[in-house]
Amino acid sequence: MSSDHSQPILELGGVDFRYFRTEPLIRDMTFSVENGEFIGLLGANGSGKSTILKLASGILKPSVGHIKLWGKELAFYGNRDRAKLLCYLPQLLDINVPFKVRELAGMGLYPYDIPPEISVDEALDLVGLLDKSESYLANLSGGERRRAFIAMTLLQGAGLLLLDEPLANLDIKYQLEIHRLLKELKDTKNISVIMALHDVNIALQFKKVILIKDGRVLGIGRPENVLNRDLMKEAFDVSIEIRKQNGGGTYLNYGDNP
Amino acid sequence: MSKIKLFLLAVTSASIFLASLFFGQNTINPFTLQGAEKEILLSIRLPRVLVAFLMGSALGVSGAVLQGMLRNPLADPYILGISSGAALAAAFGLLTGSYVLGKFTIPLAAFFGASVVSILVGAFGWKKGRLLPERLLLAGVGLSFLFYALLMLLISVSSYEGIRRAVLWTFGDLSIADWSLIPYGLVFILSGIYISISRSKALNALMLGDDLAHSLGFSAHRERLLFFVSVALMTSASVSLGGTIGFIGLLVPHIVRFVIGADNSSVIPVSAVSGGAFLCGADLIGRSIAPPMEIPSGIITAVIGSPYFLYLLRKKDVLGS
Repeated sequence: MSSDHSQPILELGGVDFRYFRTEPLIRDMTFSVENGEFIGLLGANGSGKSTILKLASGILKPSVGHIKLWGKELAFYGNRDRAKLLCYLPQLLDINVPFKVRELAGMGLYPYDIPPEISVDEALDLVGLLDKSESYLANLSGGERRRAFIAMTLLQGAGLLLLDEPLANLDIKYQLEIHRLLKELKDTKNISVIMALHDVNIALQFKKVILIKDGRVLGIGRPENVLNRDLMKEAFDVSIEIRKQNGGGTYLNYGDNP
Repeated sequence: MSKIKLFLLAVTSASIFLASLFFGQNTINPFTLQGAEKEILLSIRLPRVLVAFLMGSALGVSGAVLQGMLRNPLADPYILGISSGAALAAAFGLLTGSYVLGKFTIPLAAFFGASVVSILVGAFGWKKGRLLPERLLLAGVGLSFLFYALLMLLISVSSYEGIRRAVLWTFGDLSIADWSLIPYGLVFILSGIYISISRSKALNALMLGDDLAHSLGFSAHRERLLFFVSVALMTSASVSLGGTIGFIGLLVPHIVRFVIGADNSSVIPVSAVSGGAFLCGADLIGRSIAPPMEIPSGIITAVIGSPYFLYLLRKKDVLGS
């Protein structure tokens, strides 16, 4: 269809969310994800990052407003149809899951009757766990376990990944590798990603960030525009600023240093 | 699961099944069947062995499903209070000696008690349009205490012979096995096993947590409700066939996972076969040790099974270090 070029993959319009008879956790949330976009969702603890991802994945239903996936109301999708288009990885992964790495990764194929082109071995190779494919998850380190879940996500083959703090508790090496891996997938398979973050340094590597506070959008756009002194002060209650180095790189300046 | 393990399981189970058919208080030679022996085999042994196999399968599968859907390794078919309701109703029948429905009285009473408690547990575990695992477990434990207290009250005011039968029943009483009951048990238990096997992927996904199950394309609360109903029917049918038998529902699924891993597409069918074979074997031992006295199967399953389970627990590192 020719309209695909202009159509956003995911669209949130005026979304409010509240649990029964409580204050809203998300207010008037409006943004969209274009094909192939990489979006960092940044905000302080409790600002609503996880709630937004759960809404976007259909786990929670908006109290007000609409969420559309490929132009169709998200709630109207069947479970399996949605699972082929959209995949969600929570922040906390149960460490007592009794499966082997290979078994877990293979579950990514559950939505399919005919498996997609990528094999379990390939997915495990991509996350560097091929030699541990017969290990039990309980015997892996935290970072390895997270990579096993990412292998499952890769096998699920959805075009939109909603990842809640996927880089938390990872060594810097794997933070970089997973980040590189996702970028590679973006280039080769044209996937789109929304990633909740609390590390401003990582947010700087994104082309687009959404900064939120108390369930509201403070700013959307390029990090150097959005993560300015005023908005960062409002979002995180600290004085923090992005500075350009002479060489062209960026760095963070903490406190009130000139 | 490797072919060797599959072969060993099939051979062992078939041998136990056949052994419990032909051995016991009287050994029957299948090649020289005649008269009274044939009668014993067809109208006493065969239904009893079939009932034992069905009950063991139902309990093994129920335990595997519950441990998965509640994400709790301590879950078993009786933790949901089903056994306490069945025991109270069956004991009421046994102690008052009322046999209004003939030989169907005790099984029907047990099925009724089990179903009532299942519905109560489901109702207490229900909140915001779904079954919540923690609520289900706590409701089951709470109702169990209540119904066991009522059972004790009933026993404490009853006559000696009734008490003995009621106590035996709570450890599994396969001597009540009878052809006329088997079709009913078969329908509930086979459909429960069929549902569990056909939804084994959903059960795997539930073990990862509700949010990941959702992401993989399963409705966590719908799957859990389906599993709960099939477990309730399987367990109710099982207690009505031959009383409450412990150990199998709790530990057979764990032993199966120790040996073949945790993938439910293997765990459920293997739990069905090994649970069935295990109860057949336990029943054979129970009626062979000191005939004509019968030692309840529930005692044998625990005495043989627990040491093996503890040995595996020491040896394997599945649960992490």
